[in-house]
Amino acid sequence: MRTALFLLLAAMIPGQALAANQVALDNNVFVERVTTDAQGKQKILLEEPKVVVPGDRLVFVLSYRNAGAQPADKFVITNPMPSAVQFADAGDTRPLVSVDGGKQWGLLSDLSIPMNDGARRAAQPADVTHVRWAFAKPIPVGGAGKLMFRGVVK
Amino acid sequence: MMKAPVGGAKHQLLPSCSIFALLAAFALPMQAEAAGTRAGSTISNTASASFDTGGGTTTVDSNRVDLLVDELLDVTVDSSNPADVPTTPGATGQLLTFSVTNNGNGVEAFGLTTIANAGGDNYDPVVTQIYLDNGDGIFDASTDTLYTAGANDPSLNPDQSITVFVLATTPGTVVDGNRGIVSLVAAAKTGTGAPGYSFAGQGEGGGDAVVGSTGADGQDAGAFVVAAATVTLVKSAVVSNSLGTTDPIPGAVITYTIVATVAGSGSVSGLAVTDNIPVDTSYVPGSITLGGIGLSDAADADAGDYNGTRINVGLGTVAGGQTRTVTFRTRIN
Repeated sequence: MRTALFLLLAAMIPGQALAANQVALDNNVFVERVTTDAQGKQKILLEEPKVVVPGDRLVFVLSYRNAGAQPADKFVITNPMPSAVQFADAGDTRPLVSVDGGKQWGLLSDLSIPMNDGARRAAQPADVTHVRWAFAKPIPVGGAGKLMFRGVVK
Repeated sequence: MMKAPVGGAKHQLLPSCSIFALLAAFALPMQAEAAGTRAGSTISNTASASFDTGGGTTTVDSNRVDLLVDELLDVTVDSSNPADVPTTPGATGQLLTFSVTNNGNGVEAFGLTTIANAGGDNYDPVVTQIYLDNGDGIFDASTDTLYTAGANDPSLNPDQSITVFVLATTPGTVVDGNRGIVSLVAAAKTGTGAPGYSFAGQGEGGGDAVVGSTGADGQDAGAFVVAAATVTLVKSAVVSNSLGTTDPIPGAVITYTIVATVAGSGSVSGLAVTDNIPVDTSYVPGSITLGGIGLSDAADADAGDYNGTRINVGLGTVAGGQTRTVTFRTRIN
């Protein structure tokens, strides 16, 4: 009898978790393949890769959607950079980034890196450890969007 | 600490087509990078979102995307001889040094070949052996490994280099100033081809092996230049006698002058001038000179000697463009 109760509770917990997941976040990674046609014009194809090689340019696309019944306030999306990927840019999505493993955040142009001699140098894209978008306004019910950033396979 | 408005992104729906147009605007050429992420490793990406719908902060994770890193096949060959290596006609064991570097991201074996007949030079060196260095960078046939194609193709880790020695024979027919070029070619054993071509399932770690920007083969040229020298000897004689004439009468003294001229960009080593004393004449003791300086007749520290039948003057190594003048005297019997 007691076992059956546990089973029932166990079955209920994922249900509760699901109810809280009012926001769906979908992660897609594409690779930019540059091809040159007979006229010497470069064409960029986005492919969904199974495999990549060093030097490949990856495009990370994050799609979010508020599927719940309430607006989602203080909405923040965070993407730690995979260690084998060097951050390149984030188009015009103006993310906050961290260059110290997620301790401090800011626009890349505002951040700096301490050097051995005690001075600081301006942070470069290669220094980025985390990318984050913090939304000023709540995501309304049904609201959705996409964010992107690019990186290069180290 | 979050500075929400500063980094705030638009939360309007961004149509995907605009993103893709944006991507196109950022076209950058693919750059070949040395080694990089090891073949067979997995790149995983997961994002998370946090938000508040009135009941406190909730965090959700995205799906995880896993990408397998394929093996990139890249190799470069560099000549280690900054300038042409001097050689001489007919010389054997003439050495060119190269380094072969695995620029790929997996362990790869490379086949080595040479090209000596590509043109652009005056002669074709005859490649006799290829040796793999033991790590000290100095050629030594007793400690380095003789390379046999297919038997001991060097296997290199990502970013690892090996020094390769190419030994060649210089044909005897070459002349001073001739150049002979030898290129060393290294090709990935997995395969070569156009950049981007892939060998399914043949990469380290189970992925594909993809030809990198080098085409998975590389080559570089080293060159020999023939530094030969030729020797010409000109001998002249002047007779003087007690009569004050140049008649070769008995008792007259003949002064012989031998001028050795070395021409060419090389040098001659072990050069010696030897001359027999003509019959019916007698050597005048102590009469040998080299460059106007007297030499003793004994076989001793100085370069000249007389052994009873001939004079000999050792000139040692003489560079092209120089002359040596030897004189000695005899008396007509």
